[in-house]
Amino acid sequence: MRNFFLNDRFKQLLIRLVLVAIPTMVIGFITLRFVNFSYTALNTGIAGQTLYFSLGLLLAYSLYFYRARWVVSLFILWIIYLLFQRFISRLPGEFDVFYATARFQLYSTLFIIGWMFGLLLVKIRWAHFILFGLLAVVTLVAVSDTLDISLSYILAHLAPVVVYGLYMLFLSPVLTERIELSFKKSGRFLIRITLFVLLVLLALFITESLFSGNLKAVEKELAARGAKGKNGKGSNKDNYDDRNGLMEKTDDGYRLKDTMRVNSKMSSSDKLMFCARLDNYFPDGSPAPLYFVYHYLTRYDPAKESFTRDVGVPSFDELEVDPARLPMYYSFTDTSIIRKSMADKFRKVTEASVYLSENTWKHAVLSPSSAFHIQTIPVEKDFQKTFLSAYKTYSFTSELNNAYFVYNISASPMLEKIQEQRYDELRKIKNYNKINSEVLSYYTEYPTGALYDSIAKLAFRLSSKKARPLDKVLAVRDFFLRKNENGKRIFRYSLQAGALDDPNIPSSKMLYNFLFKTHTGYCTYYAGASLFMLRALGVPTRFTTGFATINRGDKNKGWYWFYASQAHAWTQVYFPEYGWMDFDMTIGNEEQQGAPKPDGTPPLPPPEPWLVLSARTESIDLTKKQMVASFKNLIFENTTYQLNKIFTRPVDASLCRVLYNKRDTTLAAIKPGDSLIIVSYKDEARHTPRPQPGVAIETQVENFPSPVIADEIHIRGKEKQAGKKEIGKKKNQEPEKKITLKEIAWVAGITVGSFLLLMLLFPLLYLLYRLLRLAFASKGSARADQLYRATLYRLHMLGMERETETPLEYAEKKIDPVLSADFSGFMRTYLRLKYAPGKLTEEDQQQISGLAKRIGPAIRQRNGFFKRLLNYFNVVRAIRYFQQPSETENPTV
Amino acid sequence: MTDSLSKLKTLTANIETIIRGKPQEIKYVVTALLARGHILLEDNPGAGKTVLAKTLAQSISEGTADFHSAQGGVAFKRIQFTPDLLPMDLIGSHIYDETKKDFVFKKGPLFTHVLLADEINRASPKVQSALLECMAENQISAGDTTFQLDPFFFTIATQNPIEMEGTYPLPAAQLDRFYMKISFGYVSEEVELDIYQNYLTINNGKNTIKQVLAYNDIIHLQQEAEKVYIHPELIKSVVHIVQGTRHHQEIALGCSTRGGIIFIKCLKAWALVNQRDYVIEDDLRALAQPVLHHRLIFRNREASRTALNQIVDQEVNKLSKMGIQSKK
Repeated sequence: MRNFFLNDRFKQLLIRLVLVAIPTMVIGFITLRFVNFSYTALNTGIAGQTLYFSLGLLLAYSLYFYRARWVVSLFILWIIYLLFQRFISRLPGEFDVFYATARFQLYSTLFIIGWMFGLLLVKIRWAHFILFGLLAVVTLVAVSDTLDISLSYILAHLAPVVVYGLYMLFLSPVLTERIELSFKKSGRFLIRITLFVLLVLLALFITESLFSGNLKAVEKELAARGAKGKNGKGSNKDNYDDRNGLMEKTDDGYRLKDTMRVNSKMSSSDKLMFCARLDNYFPDGSPAPLYFVYHYLTRYDPAKESFTRDVGVPSFDELEVDPARLPMYYSFTDTSIIRKSMADKFRKVTEASVYLSENTWKHAVLSPSSAFHIQTIPVEKDFQKTFLSAYKTYSFTSELNNAYFVYNISASPMLEKIQEQRYDELRKIKNYNKINSEVLSYYTEYPTGALYDSIAKLAFRLSSKKARPLDKVLAVRDFFLRKNENGKRIFRYSLQAGALDDPNIPSSKMLYNFLFKTHTGYCTYYAGASLFMLRALGVPTRFTTGFATINRGDKNKGWYWFYASQAHAWTQVYFPEYGWMDFDMTIGNEEQQGAPKPDGTPPLPPPEPWLVLSARTESIDLTKKQMVASFKNLIFENTTYQLNKIFTRPVDASLCRVLYNKRDTTLAAIKPGDSLIIVSYKDEARHTPRPQPGVAIETQVENFPSPVIADEIHIRGKEKQAGKKEIGKKKNQEPEKKITLKEIAWVAGITVGSFLLLMLLFPLLYLLYRLLRLAFASKGSARADQLYRATLYRLHMLGMERETETPLEYAEKKIDPVLSADFSGFMRTYLRLKYAPGKLTEEDQQQISGLAKRIGPAIRQRNGFFKRLLNYFNVVRAIRYFQQPSETENPTV
Repeated sequence: MTDSLSKLKTLTANIETIIRGKPQEIKYVVTALLARGHILLEDNPGAGKTVLAKTLAQSISEGTADFHSAQGGVAFKRIQFTPDLLPMDLIGSHIYDETKKDFVFKKGPLFTHVLLADEINRASPKVQSALLECMAENQISAGDTTFQLDPFFFTIATQNPIEMEGTYPLPAAQLDRFYMKISFGYVSEEVELDIYQNYLTINNGKNTIKQVLAYNDIIHLQQEAEKVYIHPELIKSVVHIVQGTRHHQEIALGCSTRGGIIFIKCLKAWALVNQRDYVIEDDLRALAQPVLHHRLIFRNREASRTALNQIVDQEVNKLSKMGIQSKK
């Protein structure tokens, strides 16, 4: 008996394993496979992952089916863990341990997930709802991380999960051993369906909210691209600049103005603009900050009384390139800047990496003065939220330059010594006789007018006995540092400059007021005033906008953080042979102490690539994470080459990071035909070829490892969308976004709608099936069988439901009194055919065909066509047909 | 075959003239008779148990014919069980015979064909167990002698519900000996009205009830019942039902294998009583309750009402969905 019990239980377990566990394993496999496509982190083989998941599921399911307890689960997991610990300690290498541990973590997580799934399925009644929800959310998150979100894509990946949910939904009533079905029960069934629909809607809602974030980001990117056209001249329609001082608001953040006029107010903001790593140090190793230049404003427009940028200036040394348009790892070098630098003493090349936040204008180069080379670099994944893009620049800087001149005047003896050295060096310049007269006259151009004359007079008075340019500069500086009889500074720094004045007063007037009356101003006042004074003295000077660099601490040496309030203007003075020297005359703000915000965590520097391919996808295999790419352009060890023919190489993308619009996406986003930038890092563990001088690049490319291991893939352009974008650029984007949302709604609608429709049509379809079976049934007992089934179903759907009666009782008590079809007569014949040994007689044949003839008219007579049709839409009733009848009460006892 | 079927019809019709509105119960009693079993009727006093038993006995016997003298006839005895009844009152006792100078065995009322054991649960367990042997083994042991009873030995026992005072519940072993336990219940309003209107005729009929079947007819019918065809699927279902009672959570003691055999016997007899020579799925439903319910011990009252039906309904439903099996 006991044995039988076990056997019976075991049989039940087997049935459930087939019906429940295997579908769950399959859906687990599908989900894992999809997640593997989407995220590169998991990469230890789908087979292994599924195996561990299934193992957990099966073990837990079987164990709990035999009524094991939680304790058992903990115990077993603990034992597995102990065994593994022992196994790990025996491994020889450190790397092995790491690898095994990482794998163990993944596998054990999957195992535990499988375990939980199994446990839920056995123990909790509506577990499949939980599982369905979980799987749907996982799939949807993975779907939403993909770029080309389309109806078919969502459907294709969500369909298995939905099918699983439906399957479990309809399976579960069969599985519960005994079902007390009544109207109460069908009510519960309705609740179940409602719950299911709600879950689908919830999942879709979650997707939508996930999408909307992505869409916003995409929108922003596109807007940035669109705004590019506006750049060029300071012709922005709104005069936002009046309030914002140095900065103006653009579509994608703030930028320093191309035109600068002195204004009375300046707003400060502690928005993070960018952060930078500057590879510039003093000989003793302490960091030497440099101001970051945005633009040089060289020309003074007396009519508008403003400083403007002039591209036609002699020896123009700004790097004119839009970093946002440079493909990843591509560089741009302007050799003319090297030529025009007009400096040969103490010149050095300084490297700076700039990480731009979303507040910053991305279309101009921010760098220490005179950048001549720029290369775009990726932002490390964890910092993508803070920094949208990054680039690396190489600039010509002078060793004599640093951010500690006036503004940051310090009591540090070291810094003062450096300043003294700088002055000693610059004092060697006696005059500007040797330099190009065109340059000299351009940079010393001085407007005419009473106010300008008085400024010039002041300048001459200050430097009456000074002959050398440096002494003149220092005289101006000393003027701003003057103190009154009480030992207090005369000039003060204030953002609320010129409170006496009307903001509309022309800036020359304001500068005059600043110099002679108020003595209060911010950087543009100091810079403007000193520019006029120096130019009056015949010293070539230019107005520079950019960011003041503040070294707030030695925690991250060489890293500087730039907030909006650090936007700055200062003057650069030209010294022959030494080049342009920063001279910041602005008085330190004594009221404001310390930085508004501390430094953040610097982003990790990107790894060095040895190879960057500008390639086109030929084919891609998502399962193996391999692709074939063809390329003609490449960067090999920082040198750009163009090959004489197109090369095709397999690329191993199993470990790589995929980015589109500088945002992480999945490998599945890559489609054949896309143009990509494929990056491979230098790695000690890998064989990377070294450049061989004198060998043709084509030959070197031939010797590249195959497949090329990709570490980063940047999608430059999608083949399909390329055409579309070129035509409509910005206009196209709005409807596109809406379509996506609509598509989601469509998916929801179609899923729910088709589900409901199927539910609704199900009774009719089943009737059709039954009648077809009847029509094709051969004569005799098979026909009797089909007739029996079809009739039972039709009568059931007519509203005469068989409850706990046997079919014969049903025929006698429920059908025959109502329908004149002698159903019980047929039933008796049928039962005899079913249970008695005899042969089919002629009489039986007649009885069977008799019912077949009688039942149709009888049913029709009872109900009209529409009523009958309506009956077949009673889904709940149809479901009851397939469920077991509820138990009867014992009449005795 | 048709002959015996018509005889059965007469038998039931004959009984129905006296017992009104209880065709099902009459069929149960006849089924037990044809299955060579015994039947226990349980109900409140005055429901007509005794009358049914007597009517049946009269229909197949010649009144109070003696067991031995009535060759070809059926002997009928009735014992009213009381608390002070002793086993020897049933079996009989050895009595000293003056003439033979020896103890001779004086046979008790058990030596009969049809025995009506009235209010069986009012007797002490000792007496109840005395019945056990003859019901199970068809024999009576007195001292060192064993008397074989006629193969046709049919007990109709009646009992009052156990809750009533002055009753000794039957032990499980003895209950198991009864093929069926049925309860009468009250008749419907119309039938009751009919009974009250015609009680005189009914009462007279009781005395004048005719014998419609003879001893040989019954033996023949019993043989016919054994020949009734039972489909293998139905036997399987019986197995499932019996197994089901053992595994059901609410049933403490399930059905024995003997119970299963009895069930099949009763199914066959029941089919015959219903004028069929094959068993159908409805029979399972009709008989599960009277044949199996008293063999089970339930954990609670709720279960005693629902548990068995759960199992049977499931089985019958399964059968009703089964198609016609192809015939070999």
